[in-house]
Amino acid sequence: MTMPTGTAYACDQNIKTAVKICQAQLKTSSPDLILAFVGGKHDPAAALGALQETFPGVALTGGSSAGAISTAGFGYTGFEIGLIAFQGADMTPQVVTTSDLLRGETQAGEDLGRLVRDRAADGSVVLLLFDNVASSSPLQLHPASQLMAGFQKGLGDRLLHVIGGGLLTDINLSDSWMIVNGCICKHAMAALIFPSNIKASTVILHGCRPVSSFFEITRIEGAEVLELNDEPALTVVERMLGLELGTTSGQQLSLVATLGQKQGDPFAPYDENNYVNRLILQANPASGSITLFEPDFAVGTRVQIMSRDNLLMLESVERGVADLGNRIAGETCLLALYIDCAGRASVMSGAATEEADLVLRSLVPAFPFMGFYSGVEIAPFAGNYSRPLDWTGVLSVFQRVG
Amino acid sequence: MNDYATSRDQLERELAYYKQEYNEVGARLLRLQEDQSRVAREARRSKIVASLVREAYLLIGQEIPPETIGKIILATIADTSLCDCAAFLVRDPVVRERFVVEHAFGTVKDTSLVLATPPAYLYTSAKQAPVPESGEMSGLLGVPYVLWAYDSDQGRALLLGNKTETNIHRAFEAGDRELIEAALAVYIDVLQRKAAVTALRLAKQAAEDANNVRARFLATLSHEFRSPLEAIIGFSELLLQSGFRVLTPEQHNEFTHQILDSGHRLLTLVQDILDFSSFENSEPVLRRDWVPIFHLLQNAVRGFAATAAACNIRIEIAPLELHWQVSIDYERFRQILSNLIGNALKFTAPGGKIIVAALITGQNGVTITVADNGIGIEPHAIERVVEPFVQIATPDGHRATGAGLGLPIAKQLAAAHEGTLMIDSLPGEGTTVTISLPPGTARRAVKSP
Repeated sequence: MTMPTGTAYACDQNIKTAVKICQAQLKTSSPDLILAFVGGKHDPAAALGALQETFPGVALTGGSSAGAISTAGFGYTGFEIGLIAFQGADMTPQVVTTSDLLRGETQAGEDLGRLVRDRAADGSVVLLLFDNVASSSPLQLHPASQLMAGFQKGLGDRLLHVIGGGLLTDINLSDSWMIVNGCICKHAMAALIFPSNIKASTVILHGCRPVSSFFEITRIEGAEVLELNDEPALTVVERMLGLELGTTSGQQLSLVATLGQKQGDPFAPYDENNYVNRLILQANPASGSITLFEPDFAVGTRVQIMSRDNLLMLESVERGVADLGNRIAGETCLLALYIDCAGRASVMSGAATEEADLVLRSLVPAFPFMGFYSGVEIAPFAGNYSRPLDWTGVLSVFQRVG
Repeated sequence: MNDYATSRDQLERELAYYKQEYNEVGARLLRLQEDQSRVAREARRSKIVASLVREAYLLIGQEIPPETIGKIILATIADTSLCDCAAFLVRDPVVRERFVVEHAFGTVKDTSLVLATPPAYLYTSAKQAPVPESGEMSGLLGVPYVLWAYDSDQGRALLLGNKTETNIHRAFEAGDRELIEAALAVYIDVLQRKAAVTALRLAKQAAEDANNVRARFLATLSHEFRSPLEAIIGFSELLLQSGFRVLTPEQHNEFTHQILDSGHRLLTLVQDILDFSSFENSEPVLRRDWVPIFHLLQNAVRGFAATAAACNIRIEIAPLELHWQVSIDYERFRQILSNLIGNALKFTAPGGKIIVAALITGQNGVTITVADNGIGIEPHAIERVVEPFVQIATPDGHRATGAGLGLPIAKQLAAAHEGTLMIDSLPGEGTTVTISLPPGTARRAVKSP
């Protein structure tokens, strides 16, 4: 029987060998599309060449990833490769892309949104993947919040189930790249539009909890938060972390703490699902500011300093996967996709247990599963439009409608 | 101040108190969690050695050659330390300042680096001034931050590299010395153990081979010596006992010839054994001379003309240019050809044909072939026939005569001439033995004025 999806995983310094191993694992006889997550230590051109040589005539999409997660293994050495093969018109997504992120993320997002609106029916599942790192030196990201703002605008009144992630070459946010129209591409974004007979059940796995009272952003320029409660933002964060004031170097705070914006009633009891977290990308000692991953906070936004709580992260995984398991119980599942913030890997978080491993052990998928380590995660948030999230895991299970 | 204001002040004070305490407790929690994460990350680093030791035990138990160990161990180091790139290097025994990359993980820009005075340990960080050696190391890996350990006794080094200083939150530092030196030591230890195991295995194999050779030697020799000796003794007794009955002159002549022939067979056998034994211990000393190839082949074939005629087997020399010469030890090369032609005669049926040919190859190399259309050799037996004291049974189940030293000696002598011996054969179609001599072995004869 032909499988509509198949996944494969390998880790090998030789990309040709890695792709051949994957080819042997794939059960789909002649895929129509392959979505590839290629470890960042592989040479992009060599990786593309190996994929094209191994799967001649098959459409390719995807790009770099800080690591891959599968039932066959997972890791983030940079030599992993994870493949998802789609076969058949009733499963294979259409791929639309833009390579214009440098021209302006909001505009590029809007353009892509319009393309998707014209091709997708209401309720369709869309997977967004984008080139997360705009520039390595100085480090600048393509802000997912602007991409998503533009994308939602382009969609207009189209209601879709949008999930996605920012692609990276490694956990240090060194670089990123994508495969677009058979070429290696920078500043790109792809939307994979699934057929209307495919639905997805998605759960967001968290792990941050507030460790401060509310601070009001009193000065902000884009993603750079200059003041909290009229005090230099870096001073506030340094004080919380117990660091000697003014000593923090550029990347020292990266991925340590987050600023969380609580949705709804600010004084409602703690619920992890009510928080949108923003990781601190870097500290700027000269200006006393901190730069966040996303520029979607504004003057007047009330935030709390959030601690990445490893125990809570693992509890959230167990809770979230159990919830998802109940939702999909008894249904035929075609594929699971896990978009996992690279900061949650134990090498970064310091968690005693690999969170990705716990996801696999909790879900025990009897269907194809593939995950990748991402920079930013995108998922439907609090029943509304999809938003970019930080330090989360987004787990989606694809099923047929009806 | 009224009661409402007092109550409000009280509430505000209380709120401020809880807020401050919340922030204090939150800050402590944040720090504790960060400390915990830091400890876990440090523990992960210290797991490198534990992982390596575990990997080492696995490697020692596996049937893998020593040269592949470095790659596996390097992957383990890089996986646990999450460095961007890494390399094992070995000091060049000739150019002592040069370190050659043995194994690499990730992208490495060059195959070697030059260090006049290699340090035992070195790391780079933004906090300290760079030293000249670190420039070479950074250049090799193509990254600015490096960590190096060198074992001067073993001449081996381990180099790790990162693109960013705060790779996964942590820069290289003085405290990494134990870590990288331990990793290097584990590699060297496993490598040496594996090399020792491999050497032992080879020695065991050599001993087993020698045992097999000795066993075959005894089996072959007991047969090959006994037959001519029995003939010598038997015919000598007949001659001595001639008093009881009168021998005809023809009988006397026949018996004497049988004794002489058996003596020659024994002498050839002893000579072969001495030659083989001598060549096993040391390569024969050659007295090379420029010999006309045609004469070489012609003389070799003439030596078997009578035997071939008696067996009704045709021996031909393929047409070749007359004025080519070959640089060989004439006697030793004649020995090669005698063994090959002798074998061909032995395994070719009456009416068969043997062709001896020479071909000048590229850059004045030479190949000489002896091809027959005899019984041929089964594919699985081709390798065995060049082993000493091996006689492969013929398709009809008969064992050929001889000590089984002809081809081994020919191979030894070809190797002494820096050449090779190759066998192509198909059962029922024949066998071609090719001696290939390297470029520069042949030349055109200088014509006499």
